[in-house]
Amino acid sequence: MSKPKIKEKPTASDAVRARKRKSLSFLAQMEYRKMILYPLVVFLVALIILAVHFPRLGIDLRGGVVVTAYGVSANPDQLAKDLSGKLGVEVRVESFTGVDNKGVRIYAPVGTDPTGIIRIMKEMYPDAEYTHSEVQPTFGEISQKQGLRAVALAFVAMAVVVFLFFRDPVPSMTIIFSALSDMTIALALMGLFGIELTTATIAALLMLIGYTVDSNILLTTKLLKRKEDTVDKAYLSAVSTGFTMSTTTLGALLVLWIISTSQTIDNIAIVLIFGLLADFMNTWVLNAGVLKWYISKNPRGGSA
Amino acid sequence: MKKRTKKLLFNWRIILLILFLVGSIATLALKPLTFGIDISGGVALVAQTEHPVDSDTMQLVVDSLQKRLNTLGVRDITIEAQGNQIVLVKVANVSTEEQANQIKAVIENQGVFYMEFNGEIFGTGKDVEYVGIYQIKSDNSWAVPFRISKAAAEKFAKLAEGKPGWPVDMFLDPPVNSLMVVPDNIYRLMNSTEFNAQAPNAPTLLERITKAFNITVVTYANQSAEEIAKLAQGKDKIVLINVPQELQTELENMNLTVRYIPGEPGVSDRQIIIKALGLYGPYSLGEGLASGQPQQDVQITGSAPDRLTAEREASTIYTVLKSGSLPVKLNVVGMEFISPRLGENFKTQALYAGLAALMTVLIIIYYHYRNWKIAIPVASTSLFEVIIILGFAALINWNLDLPSIAGIIAAIGTGVDQQVVITDELLSGERSERITRRASVLKRMGRAFFVIFASAATTIAAMSFLLVYFVGTLKGFAFTTILGVLIGILITRPAYAEIAKYLLGED
Repeated sequence: MSKPKIKEKPTASDAVRARKRKSLSFLAQMEYRKMILYPLVVFLVALIILAVHFPRLGIDLRGGVVVTAYGVSANPDQLAKDLSGKLGVEVRVESFTGVDNKGVRIYAPVGTDPTGIIRIMKEMYPDAEYTHSEVQPTFGEISQKQGLRAVALAFVAMAVVVFLFFRDPVPSMTIIFSALSDMTIALALMGLFGIELTTATIAALLMLIGYTVDSNILLTTKLLKRKEDTVDKAYLSAVSTGFTMSTTTLGALLVLWIISTSQTIDNIAIVLIFGLLADFMNTWVLNAGVLKWYISKNPRGGSA
Repeated sequence: MKKRTKKLLFNWRIILLILFLVGSIATLALKPLTFGIDISGGVALVAQTEHPVDSDTMQLVVDSLQKRLNTLGVRDITIEAQGNQIVLVKVANVSTEEQANQIKAVIENQGVFYMEFNGEIFGTGKDVEYVGIYQIKSDNSWAVPFRISKAAAEKFAKLAEGKPGWPVDMFLDPPVNSLMVVPDNIYRLMNSTEFNAQAPNAPTLLERITKAFNITVVTYANQSAEEIAKLAQGKDKIVLINVPQELQTELENMNLTVRYIPGEPGVSDRQIIIKALGLYGPYSLGEGLASGQPQQDVQITGSAPDRLTAEREASTIYTVLKSGSLPVKLNVVGMEFISPRLGENFKTQALYAGLAALMTVLIIIYYHYRNWKIAIPVASTSLFEVIIILGFAALINWNLDLPSIAGIIAAIGTGVDQQVVITDELLSGERSERITRRASVLKRMGRAFFVIFASAATTIAAMSFLLVYFVGTLKGFAFTTILGVLIGILITRPAYAEIAKYLLGED
């Protein structure tokens, strides 16, 4: 790296910025009806997916037993068959690999003794490291209720604050709807990719509120409050910032997902990735479309 | 030093950041971070009370559990009441699953303790004032000395006067106010002198429990579930012993509380009765206690076939007495065990994952701006944020668990986003855009910080609900998210804005 010279004004090279704006300009040229329509279609599709294929509840919300064995490589189907035979209950086995570790997770129904599973496993894999957890359905129910309440309350709190900041129903409702759509799409993708709904993934869905609001507030502020630029220019500058924001966060999450073998961290990372992808569409296409339409109806005059 | 540089270094925002950084590093050096069970290894148990209780009762439950686990010699315990029904117990440094299960058993066996004589309850766990160390003699007989309250001693003296050899019973979680349905042979055994110690003329166990606990015992004679339900009217629960198990399902379908105890080969009828009633004893009343004089210092004695059994019996009674009485029964509804060796793996992994994510942020930011003068400050501001969050966590002894780490990730993610907002606002005044009226830096920063404050406010509003009244793991997540956001808006973001202004020549 060359020594920074303070006098010279160092900025991003114009070429890079111009290229980014050019590649994103297709968004700016989109007609607002389509900008509103497409994300709504995606939202509806997500709703349909959820109706037919809601994510499975994890054992912390449903109750059950899970034994994790690290340092085991086995054919999950064969292992499930062996264990089911020996235990007399139906078990499900999943294998996983991380950068420096691999292993299996064994899911058994409520009431199974995890030490029994570990005993049998230890006969086959004495060197593996074991952890286990068990949850009774009653507690699962409590967690479910609380998780649902957490999401609902957090959502309402977010909505109230957004209203207080913008005091304008159309942009506020759009931001709130964007957040709702982000979570719905993330949930639908969880269902499709077989990611369980657990307290950790509920936390991730809540995190989405923070990310959604960031980009949406940026866009709304730029379009409604920045009067020195044309709408298209303001949009382009916002979307280019938004693109930088999303790619950076996505990159970091992807790395986290690849490196970690903790199921909790992995699941949080993947749900956030789903949500951020959805958010990119919902902010820069849907919300932008609504705002463009809104501005065309209410030209930005004296007050914003 | 150039004037601009000096000005930057003496800016209060920069000074604040440096102070917090130094403070955090010093804190981390002096007070190492503590990690949650899911990282450092150990066992986490979630226990639920039989019914919702008020906060005073909850405190009693927590104190009593603490006492009992301490009695077992377990260290590094945290017990936390959440809401009106949930108790969270975390024990670190548990290295095998056998140990983990032992702790679970202790919590579940933790119960309501009664001392009964001749069908009268003369004391509960509250009346146990002191428990001495148990002794085991060479003939495998054992004794646990303890002291009971004055009130209990007086009541007992009156009851026991002139009744040497009579049975003294202790119960842990007897099925108070219940209907017991038992096979004929068990009924006959309960109604015999089997449980009468050395006093055949004392009331039988059946008579004693009926009087003391309002337990009705009936013989099973092919009654239907409906008939049993009718008998159980006004009772809290039904205990079924070695009767057809379909009855349990049928009775549960009528919304009745049922406990089913199967008969097992090799388990004697006597053992089944003891298990069903939570009976310890009966112990034979010594001569000295039958004199009518109140005595607070008493002991329970017994004998066992071998030393190991004697040890186990004595230590069980010792723990039961020592831990006092729980005002309400607890059930373990969730349990998680992580071996410490794995925990160590998680810790290094979290570190690598964090560093790799930071490097990724650095590279992607560079890719976007082609300028290290932006990429390095953004990435290092994030690093500073993590250090300050961790320093704060160490300071208040916050247990970092996986959800807390997820919260840190969330805070960093929004942090990077907001630094990008600041950077872009600063850059937006440059060449290509100069044709349009150029807003002052101040105005642009104001706009950036409007976005930042609005999103921080929403995040904090959303998360504070979680922090205030939710149980379980989401609390840690909410805490670190809010902490991260606060540190971000108050310390790191303003400092970053100053640094960026300096480096981009916009001040």
